[in-house]
Amino acid sequence: MEINCKGERIILDEERAIYLPDHGFLVLSDLHLGKSAHFRRAGVPVPATIGINDLSRLSFLLERYQPDCLLVTGDMFHHSLNSDIAHFADWRKQHSALRLILVKGNHDLLSDADYAALGIELHSPSFCLGPFCFIHDAPKCTEEELYPISGHIHPGITLQGKARQKLRFPCYYFGKDFAVLPAFSLFTGLSTIRQSAGDRSYAITPGKVVAV
Amino acid sequence: MLSNHPGYKKIKSWLRSAKRKPFPFQERAWEKYLQGFNGLVNAPTGFGKTFSLFLAPLIESFGLKELPRQTSKNRLKLIWITPLRALGKDIGRAMIESLLELEMNWEVGIRNGDTTTAEKARQKRSMPEILIITPESMHLLLAQKGSSEIFEGLQCIVADEWHELLGSKRGVLVELAISRINGMKRKLNLPEARVWGISATIGNIEQALEVLVPDPKKPRTIVRAELEKKIEIHSILPDNLETLPWAGHLGLNMAEKLVPIINKSRTTLIFTNTRGQAEMWYQRMLQVDPDLAGLLAVHHGSIDNELRGWIEDALHSGALKAVICTSSLDLGVDFKPVDTVVQVGSPKGVARFLQRAGRSGHSPFETSVIYFMPTHALELVEAAAIKEAARNQNIEPREPVILSFDTLTQYLVTLAVGDGFDDAETFAEVQGTHAFRDILPEEWNWIMQFITSGGDTLGAYEEFKKVIRDTDGRWKVTSRMTAMRHRLHIGTIVSDAMLKVKFISGGYIGMVEETFISKLKPGDSFTLAGRILELAQVKDMTVLVRRSKKKKAISPSWNGGRLPLSSNLGSVLRKKYNEALQENHPDPELRFIYPLFLRQQRTSHVPKNDELLIELISNKEGFHLFAYPFEGRLVHEVLAALVAFRLSRLLPISFSIAMNDYGFELLSDQEIPFDEGIAYDVFSPKNLSEDITLSINSTEMARRKFRDIACISGLVFQGYPGKHVANRHLQSSAGLFFNVFADYDKHNLLLRQAYDEVFYDQLEEPRLAAALHRIQDSRIVITEPQSFTPLSFPIKVDSLRENMSSEELEQRVVRMTAEAQKEDEWK
Repeated sequence: MEINCKGERIILDEERAIYLPDHGFLVLSDLHLGKSAHFRRAGVPVPATIGINDLSRLSFLLERYQPDCLLVTGDMFHHSLNSDIAHFADWRKQHSALRLILVKGNHDLLSDADYAALGIELHSPSFCLGPFCFIHDAPKCTEEELYPISGHIHPGITLQGKARQKLRFPCYYFGKDFAVLPAFSLFTGLSTIRQSAGDRSYAITPGKVVAV
Repeated sequence: MLSNHPGYKKIKSWLRSAKRKPFPFQERAWEKYLQGFNGLVNAPTGFGKTFSLFLAPLIESFGLKELPRQTSKNRLKLIWITPLRALGKDIGRAMIESLLELEMNWEVGIRNGDTTTAEKARQKRSMPEILIITPESMHLLLAQKGSSEIFEGLQCIVADEWHELLGSKRGVLVELAISRINGMKRKLNLPEARVWGISATIGNIEQALEVLVPDPKKPRTIVRAELEKKIEIHSILPDNLETLPWAGHLGLNMAEKLVPIINKSRTTLIFTNTRGQAEMWYQRMLQVDPDLAGLLAVHHGSIDNELRGWIEDALHSGALKAVICTSSLDLGVDFKPVDTVVQVGSPKGVARFLQRAGRSGHSPFETSVIYFMPTHALELVEAAAIKEAARNQNIEPREPVILSFDTLTQYLVTLAVGDGFDDAETFAEVQGTHAFRDILPEEWNWIMQFITSGGDTLGAYEEFKKVIRDTDGRWKVTSRMTAMRHRLHIGTIVSDAMLKVKFISGGYIGMVEETFISKLKPGDSFTLAGRILELAQVKDMTVLVRRSKKKKAISPSWNGGRLPLSSNLGSVLRKKYNEALQENHPDPELRFIYPLFLRQQRTSHVPKNDELLIELISNKEGFHLFAYPFEGRLVHEVLAALVAFRLSRLLPISFSIAMNDYGFELLSDQEIPFDEGIAYDVFSPKNLSEDITLSINSTEMARRKFRDIACISGLVFQGYPGKHVANRHLQSSAGLFFNVFADYDKHNLLLRQAYDEVFYDQLEEPRLAAALHRIQDSRIVITEPQSFTPLSFPIKVDSLRENMSSEELEQRVVRMTAEAQKEDEWK
């Protein structure tokens, strides 16, 4: 689905990432690489397949949009270096030409050297492009002129159907003051957002993005 | 022989000095105990069932010529398992009194979630002779290092209120703990501890014994008291039938009727079915009789412990005139001043009703008095049915839980946190329990893999670390973090995310569900513990409130209050409908609502117990189909979906569904094709399992069940009410795990358990199949009434309830009643 925001074209992909065709930027948030291994280390058996699947979804998006740059608005890594990150390092080698920008989030706790080794360009607290300020947590944005696009909260929306049916989906949120991207990783929960007048939300239903 | 036993003589003379005499069943229990039996004591409350077992090991020890050498470690002789913490205090008090009078130097210790760390440490250094404990604390004991030697001198394990534990995973905790303790004793060539249970009358008492003592080679027996507890059951009838609404669930307009009952009784317990209802009744009673202020209290599971303790003490001392409570006061705490019980609304089952009745007139040969307060007209039929079922001792069975792999997973980690375990040895012990006697070796291996290497998908579980094999060959948890987190989560009761409620000025009031508070704005008022509170802010998992000046406020609706009608009660209920149209019968309740049945018969039909009534009603809302199998709301939920699905195969049609304990409704915007032939087809037991799977969203239901399973098996850490989750990086939801396993690990045993629980507990497939067979042999009566009938009306109202607050609903009900009656007159 393509929308217009602050005069810019934005494509909302059903794989939980946006593409800015005028800049060649693919933007996503909350990749949480290493989360499954972090759970395993603590004795909770989460298969690594889930992180590997996230990476192949990412490869698919690179194939689809052929972006010049991949921008992650925070929480690219979950906590620390572990075996999941090794899978990512392999993946990075296959996409070595890609420019990769990370706006640091609360879970991004690796050392600067580790980021450098993985070919990641760091920005903190934000990265600005056109009318947008990409930042992990929107309320922390200090750029008054720009429209913040953020992540962090893993937005979800509840759709109510007839006969008391309720379904919850991850969503894109474009509010009056800021926008929030859905968490890219499938191993993430949802925090339900409430819409106010003037807000636009786009639910990511299986295979399709719909405006609600 | 018991009578020659020196210990028995001592007990007997002690009793005689207090002018007491043992009941024959107590003597039988002592005799069997001394002979080495395991068993189950079945006695009504108030007849000293505690003494039937507590005195047995005492008698035995008086008989010993030489006392075995005692060390501070192996003093423990008797473990007394109780389901409720509150019970522990009470029983402990009684035991200590007797021991003092008998001049015995045995110590009684209590161990549960309330026990202080200092006390626990003291117990670790030196156990008391008698330990009163909850199933969860039992497992915490097993999770202690060096726990094995404390059981060496243990002679007996008693599971008190075993009927309460039997039907839940907490019962499985008890089974597993017993299997470990006696397994350890076998290995050391020590005599095994005798295992005894105490149970109220339930439909499957033999099975209850079998679950507790599964080995058929062991001597086991049931000791029945053969004492009948006299119970008087009265229904509270309104002055006229019109006062009693056709539907609703609060019954508040009958509150005045309670005042004379409370006044003429010493102390009254008023039971409601939900916590929200208890809060509303509390407000209402104070309005009706302001003199009750200070003499009335409200008691339920969300109220602060300290406050509950205070209420319980005030009940003991007789300082309170009445307490409005929920199942929180169901169990056998003996409040002597209580001489009257009131049940508000249907108790849904015979056993529950009798248990609540037994809260009054607790002493032997005293009569229990219980008043039934109907909240709507048809509940009077239930009152008549319950009376009959109680007379005939037609009491529900409690189905024991089997193959709950989540509980087993937790238990194995518990052992690994403690002294570790040997897998062959523990497998044999686990297989010896009733719950896991059908466990397959591959299922066991799967669980071992789950806690040791994570799972079977190759390479997917790198770095997984939980239970590892130690150098001595035993499986252990070595990470202190993992061990600590596990200890915090032992148990099988999973609650919703609860927030503490505190005054800004300080003072803790109780707990409410997070979902309830999230709907309120600062400045809104709600009631808790009988107080009207104004929300100030939510901070750090704590709800800060101040006193509100408002007179009225909404009550929090805590989840999980709605129990389905039991199948025993359902069948007696069908029989009562049979009798309802006879003008002269002994039940005053049926005589009272006779006009309502006349109306049902005039506008539609009153179903006999060999009939299934179906009403087709069309109005401006659409086309309704009502059916009344009287099988309880859970069965109706599935049955409704099944019938809807089968009808939609005949012609594309979609329905919305509503149900209550008596029947269900299908509502469509197009005409429903229906006649007798179709009726027998859609209520057929043929292809039941396949059609259920197709008709209901079993995945969604399994996902809901998985919430508990994920907590119990240690996948999700729920944290403590009011406490921050210890490690934010490890936060995740059960739903997420459900998806992950469904996508990447289909053979996951816990996932399969979720589906099994859906089919057996939630869908009650066996009960559903039985109902369909019964319907096939019944006559199906189809009527087409002009407007809602007395039977269909409550279902309609129930479907509205989900989307309305209680007050709006009451108003709506009044209007709908008027409409139904007006339409009728007009015709």
